Amino acid sequence: MADLYPSITQCAVVATAFKVLLFPAYKSTDFEVHRNWLAITNSLPVQEWYYEKTSEWTLDYPPFFAGFEWILSQFAKFVDPEMLKVSNLGHDSWQTVYFQRASVIATELVLVYALSFFVKSAPLALKRPSHAAALSLLLSPGLLIIDHIHFQYNGFMYGLLILSLVLARKESTTLASGFLFAILLCLKHIYLYLAPAYFVFLLRAYCLGPKSIFHIRFGNAIKLGTGIITIFGAAFGPFAYWGQIPQLMSRLFPFSRGLCHAYWAPNIWAIYSFTDRVLIYVAPRLGLAVNQEAVNSVTRGLVGDTSFAVLPEITATMTFALTLLFQVIPLIKLFLNPTWDTFIGAVTLCGYASFLFGWHVHEKAILLVIIPFSLIALKDRRYLGAFRPLAVAGHVSLFPLLFTASEFPVKTVYTIFWLVLFLLAFDRLAPASHRSRIFLFDRFSLLYITVSIPLILYCSLLHRVVWGEMYEFLPLMFTSSYAAVGVVGSWVGFLVVYFTS
Amino acid sequence: MTMAGPSPRKPRRKAKQPDNGSELPVPVARSAPLPTGRPSSSSFSRPAYPLAAFLWPARSSLSQWEILPLILMAAGLFRWAAGLWGYSGFQKPPMYGDYEAQRHWMEVTTQLPVSQWYFHDLEWWGLDYPPLTAYHSWLLGKVGGLIDASWFELHKSRGIHDPSLKVFMRATVVVSEYLVFIPAAVIFVRRLSKLQGVNTWNASIALTAVLMQPGTTLIDHVHFQYNTVMLGLVLASMSSVLAGRFMWSCVFFVLALGFKQMALYYAPAMFAYLLGVCLFPQLNLPRFLGIAVVTIASFAVLLLPLCLGALYDSSRGIDARPDLHGHKAPLPIFPQYSYLLDYRAWYYPIVQQLAQMIYRVFPFARGLFEDKVANFWCALNVVVKLRHYPSEILQRASLLLTLGSITPACLVIFLKPRKELLPVALATTAWGFFLFSFQVHEKSVLLPLMPMTVLLAGKQGLSKNTRAWVGFANVLGVWTMFPLLQRVELRIPYYVLSLLWTYLLGLPPTTLSVYKQDGTASWTSYATAVLHIIFYLTMGVWHISESFLLPPSDKPDLWVVANVGVGVVGFGICYMWCLWTLVIDSGLLGVSESGKRKVKSQ
Repeated sequence: MADLYPSITQCAVVATAFKVLLFPAYKSTDFEVHRNWLAITNSLPVQEWYYEKTSEWTLDYPPFFAGFEWILSQFAKFVDPEMLKVSNLGHDSWQTVYFQRASVIATELVLVYALSFFVKSAPLALKRPSHAAALSLLLSPGLLIIDHIHFQYNGFMYGLLILSLVLARKESTTLASGFLFAILLCLKHIYLYLAPAYFVFLLRAYCLGPKSIFHIRFGNAIKLGTGIITIFGAAFGPFAYWGQIPQLMSRLFPFSRGLCHAYWAPNIWAIYSFTDRVLIYVAPRLGLAVNQEAVNSVTRGLVGDTSFAVLPEITATMTFALTLLFQVIPLIKLFLNPTWDTFIGAVTLCGYASFLFGWHVHEKAILLVIIPFSLIALKDRRYLGAFRPLAVAGHVSLFPLLFTASEFPVKTVYTIFWLVLFLLAFDRLAPASHRSRIFLFDRFSLLYITVSIPLILYCSLLHRVVWGEMYEFLPLMFTSSYAAVGVVGSWVGFLVVYFTS
Repeated sequence: MTMAGPSPRKPRRKAKQPDNGSELPVPVARSAPLPTGRPSSSSFSRPAYPLAAFLWPARSSLSQWEILPLILMAAGLFRWAAGLWGYSGFQKPPMYGDYEAQRHWMEVTTQLPVSQWYFHDLEWWGLDYPPLTAYHSWLLGKVGGLIDASWFELHKSRGIHDPSLKVFMRATVVVSEYLVFIPAAVIFVRRLSKLQGVNTWNASIALTAVLMQPGTTLIDHVHFQYNTVMLGLVLASMSSVLAGRFMWSCVFFVLALGFKQMALYYAPAMFAYLLGVCLFPQLNLPRFLGIAVVTIASFAVLLLPLCLGALYDSSRGIDARPDLHGHKAPLPIFPQYSYLLDYRAWYYPIVQQLAQMIYRVFPFARGLFEDKVANFWCALNVVVKLRHYPSEILQRASLLLTLGSITPACLVIFLKPRKELLPVALATTAWGFFLFSFQVHEKSVLLPLMPMTVLLAGKQGLSKNTRAWVGFANVLGVWTMFPLLQRVELRIPYYVLSLLWTYLLGLPPTTLSVYKQDGTASWTSYATAVLHIIFYLTMGVWHISESFLLPPSDKPDLWVVANVGVGVVGFGICYMWCLWTLVIDSGLLGVSESGKRKVKSQ
């Protein structure tokens, strides 16, 4: 099985060349956010990190990420000390841009390592599909758009997530997997969404006996418990000592935001909002009351409360309850059958549940679903069937992140390139399932993928030609509603696969 | 770049796998190792360089129609990403650069009557390319004007740096290339590989290598120009030759000449070849007449819009030179015969127009060389100050040396007019022109590089020897353009694109594997390795000194001059190699087929 070509390293080299060429590309406010964090962590004492608010982009990631920024700032000193001044708002000299962009590429090596570890740890028979999946993750258009153009450090953190998921494959490294996940939580709290799956898995597979759940392995439980407490202690302990925990928590969990982001992430609430928008025109005929105040709220594109004109309001508690409910259902199966494949499936489903039902979900969070799913998408053709619409919808839904003309060809051509390449490759590599596949689902997914072409064309070109600057929200609404259908469809499909395999 | 399992013989169809009820996809694993993967043929068991690795999964299972769109998308992505960087003349008043020149031509052609195109304000990037470039600019200017009319407003738009305009201009280069150069390259590679029995997989590798060539991307998509249109037309002409369609070949070649006069570098070899096929093995008069008529007709069609425009304008009373206020000036060329012309004759506007066009296109009045360029004259100037010599003598010397350098290649291709020899013959004459003709520009190195790079698609094209030489020429070529790129802060795209290409093809400075001999080695291969490595080391040292050491104050141009000196020697070697390959391949020296193969496969 030596002929796994191109190798991960080769792809990484070529991808890096491409990413370096993207240095001058559009960068979002997240670039300034991270520059500000470099400045805060470098120039202020730790006690002030979570209080500093010169810039509107205050530090709202957990302490380890602040520490990560501090480490980066030690190198930034030598590149351009100006970027490390808190008062230098919006500083983007070319040195700063090169440094920050290069730091994204360099820290992404964690992902490269994690992926080669994933292939190495795969059983011989699965080497080839694992290799293909690893390359698909390495070259993911999601990471390219979010990290290397829009600007964030997801490659690095998803690398840690994959590493942790792969470590869970073997009994001997399960402990390390748990620790790594704890560290990850202290880097970015979005991974809390996946924590229930980890909790159940570590509890069942590591702390309880393989034969009976009443056989408690105290040694393991203590090791895991102390380790995790130490990690969280290291991260949050100092802040607890200074009594800053409420301030820190208010930064990490800003509950004042609305249900939907200005641009709807493609989830259940996007479909809900879309239905509401349609009902505004239909409701008077049906005799339903229309709340006139709410009619124009969403389309204004401001971050704020989405109020619905016809349908009932959604509260944070409701979203929380729904998320938890749809996380618990797959976790029951994981508890009963704690294999690695089920674990990855459960992590994926936890990601799905939080993405689909969560409060103020950002479209970037789709990676929380796509990345773990990729690891098992090639298990058999039924998995692949559920993965396909997700791959299309998830990446198309990221397009509105980049709205500048010069990045348009990059995002579309790269995504189409990736989809053609990997969907063709996966199609050849995924073995047939021993269960019959759902005929209709496959047809649906083909139709769905086909619709994406006119949709992209309309949203990116035709809309402007026909309407000019008017109705700017229409393309966004179509994109997110379209993508929401795909994500929900793939979720339903994957639920079926998960529970029947 | 596809990683589909190479196991299924029939593409698009899932291999029938016995349903053994296993969770594991055992059948895939079992059928995975290819027959070639066995130790018995170990030399084929792993890709020799990264580009082969990227296309590795496509060896047996993919048809070219599945791999081709992927290659074209990948090539397009790199072009567009490179285009995000700055362009020539960005925020460099007063004259800006090539970008402004091209934009200005769109302004001139769309805003002024045809008859004034070649006369309008010649001090500010006056049009000095042949008519097809003007028509091309007109078309692009019309399209761009629909998007934003202010981009091409007469006089007011000079030096405009609107970011949207940059996107538009970049898009025009990409679209022009994808409509001309890329189809030509795809078809050429396909025809050459079929002709020489190269399999589709190797042809795909060669195509990718040609498309990823750093020089054209850096000059066209980063620094800004439309060279690929001209190169594409020449390639289309070469491709027609491969198909035996000589008249089409003439049409394309005339179009290439009509786009950029620089295509003349190829003209002697092309002429010699076409003359050769009319004379050998026996005189073919109909073919000769066909070629002659088609060539003349193509020129006529090419010039027709310009002539008709001039006539139409004069009938409307629009003067080609409003600046003269009705006075007439003698023709710019052959002014001594101007008095023979009647200004009021109906054909006068045409004569005036063509004379001006020719005067603008051919740099009669300019010096032997303009900037620091790695050709013979510029290098010689370091030793002997050429400006002490009368320009008459210099021009004559230049003409003689150029003729001397191209004659051997033209003779060979004339006597042995075989189509597979055409690329290397074109490369040889283009090197001759580049080295010895006058008014050469750094960017002209793209001309010899293009036919030389397509050698990769020929027989043994991906062998170590050919790869080493084609790689050497390309690396040296972009290296001599570094001073040009560096002036507009394009170091990073330069390093990225050239290192990427050398990495993909397994060339220095990324690896020395191309010089490792498998089996018997000969003295020529050792000599090649030593020679190339010396040059690569020099280039590396030069880069280090250029970026860290300031040149001595009395010699501020030291690095550029060193670049020219090394470049000209290297290019001279490339010229010799092309000529040598041409002579050997033509069989004129009586080297047997087997002996030839031995030389080529080293």
